[in-house]
Amino acid sequence: MNQPPARRILVALMALPLLFTAACGGGSGGSGEAGHVVIVGQEFTEANIMTQLYKQLLEHAGFQTEVKNLGARDVYLHPLEKDQVQVSADYLSSMTDALNKEVHGENAPSVASPDTQATLAKLKQLGQKVGITPLQPAKAEDANAYAVTKQFAAKNHLVTLSDLGKLGQPISLAANSDCPERTDCKLGLEKVYGIKISKVEPLGFDSPETKSALAKGEVQLGQVATTDATLNGLGLVILTDDKNWQNAENLVPVVNSKWLKAHPKAADALNKLSGVLTTDDLKAMNAKVDAERMQESDVAEQYLKQKGLI
Amino acid sequence: MNGVLSWFTDPAHWRGASGVPTLLLQHSLLTAAALLLAVLLGLPTAVWLGHRHRGGTALVNFANVGRAVPVIALLSLLALGFVGSADLGPFGRAGMATLITLALFALPPIVTSTYVGMTGVDPEIVEAARGMGMSELRLLRDVELPLALPMVVSGLRLALVQVWATATIAAIVAGPGLGRIITHGYDSDSPSEVIAGSIIVAVIALLLELGMVLLQRAVDPLPAHSR
Repeated sequence: MNQPPARRILVALMALPLLFTAACGGGSGGSGEAGHVVIVGQEFTEANIMTQLYKQLLEHAGFQTEVKNLGARDVYLHPLEKDQVQVSADYLSSMTDALNKEVHGENAPSVASPDTQATLAKLKQLGQKVGITPLQPAKAEDANAYAVTKQFAAKNHLVTLSDLGKLGQPISLAANSDCPERTDCKLGLEKVYGIKISKVEPLGFDSPETKSALAKGEVQLGQVATTDATLNGLGLVILTDDKNWQNAENLVPVVNSKWLKAHPKAADALNKLSGVLTTDDLKAMNAKVDAERMQESDVAEQYLKQKGLI
Repeated sequence: MNGVLSWFTDPAHWRGASGVPTLLLQHSLLTAAALLLAVLLGLPTAVWLGHRHRGGTALVNFANVGRAVPVIALLSLLALGFVGSADLGPFGRAGMATLITLALFALPPIVTSTYVGMTGVDPEIVEAARGMGMSELRLLRDVELPLALPMVVSGLRLALVQVWATATIAAIVAGPGLGRIITHGYDSDSPSEVIAGSIIVAVIALLLELGMVLLQRAVDPLPAHSR
C-alpha cells in the first residue's frame, strides 16, 4: 500500500497515453475484398436507420455486408479513407466541413453552404484529396432547426424565424456549446433574422436536456433537428427557416473511392434510395424507432419494401 | 499536438468567464462541496459503525449503489426529473443535481475505507485501552481514530481524485467547471481543445493524488517500518 510517490506518479504518467489512444481505437478490421462491405454511421437512431437502409440495399445488390458502430465521424473518417471501411451514412455539410478541417487545418473557415449542389461540389473536390467519394445526396435533410413551444408560438403568432425577429423580445436559447461563435447558430439568428439572443445555455444539439429546458420554459428557443419525431409530443414546434439560412445537411452515402471503382454497381444501389427518401420519410422512421420501439432493421426493411427498392 | 500547444498559448483561453482560471475555480468549488457533502454523510456513520463492529456489510453495500449507477445517467435523471435544473449559486445550472451525483459517487471509497480502517485497529490495543478504564468516546477519539486515520485519508484520496475528474460531467447539464472546455471541443469538432481540457484535468488530478499521498503519510501515527 505504501508505494513511494515517485513510482505512483510514474505509473500514472505511463497510463496517460492510454487515455488518448483509446479515442483512436477501433480502426482495425474489415477488408475491401470482393463483395464484402463495412458500413458505418454515427451512433444515434437516424444514423442507425440509415446504415440499415444501406446494408439492405447493398445485400439486395449481392454484397456481403457488415455494419460497424464506430460512433463519431473523427473515429471512422480515417478507416474510410484507408478502405478499412467502405461506406458511411453521412450528412452533406457536416462531412464537407470535417474534410475541410482535415485537409486545410482545424481552423479552416467553413466551406459548406445552404446550396446542396455547391456543397456537394466542394465535398467531391475535398474527397479526391483523401480518397473518398460522395454519391447522390437524398432530398431528405437533417438540418439544424430552431423550435419554440406551441404555446409561445400561438401567443405571439410565430410561424417563421422572421416572425420571432419581428417580435423584438430578448430570447434565451438552448443549443450546442459552440453556438455563440457559429454563423449557423447565435450569430446567424442575430444577423440574418434580427433575433436578440440574451443567453445561450450549452445543453447540446437536439438533446433531451435542450428539449426539456425548452418545454419547461427555462429557455424560449431550442436548437433541434428537422427530423426529430418527438417534438410534437413534447408540445414543441419548429420555426421555419424562411430565409434558407441553414447549411444543406442532406443525407448522403460517402464511400471509399478505390472500392467504388472496383464495385460501380454499389453506387446504383445506394443512389436508388437517394432519389426517393424525403425528410418526412426519415422523421416517420425515427418515430417508429424512438416512440414505437421498433428495431431499426425492421423499420428499414419495411420502408424499402414499401418503396419497391428490395 | 501542435493544435494543443497553440490552444494553451492562446491568451483568449486564459481570461474572462470561460477562461481557464475561472473554470478552475468553479471546478475546485464543485469538487470541494461534493466531497464535503459526502464526508458529512459518510464519515460519522462509518466511524461509529466501525467502532461498534457492526452493520458494515449493509453500510458498504448501500454506499456501493453510488458505484453501480452510471454517473452520467444519474445526473441526467436528476437534472431532468427529481431535482430539476435550477441555478444554484456558484454551482451553476442544475447545481443541486450535479452536487448530489458527485457526492453519491464519492461515498463508496470514503465509507469503505473508513469502516475497514476502524475495524482493522488491533483488538489487543482496544482491549488494553478499555482495561485502562477509557470511556468509549475517548477510546474512539484517542485510540481508534488516530490508528485508522491513514485508511480514512486513503479513502478521501480516492474520493477526491475521482470526484475531481468526474466533475467534468457538470458541463453536460450546462454547469460550470473544466468540463466546459472538453464539451466545447467535442461540439466544435476540435480534438486539440478536448485534449487540452483533458490535460488540465489530468495533471491536476495527479497533483491532488500526490498531495494526498503525502498527507496520508503525515497522519500515520506509527513509524513506517512497524507496519
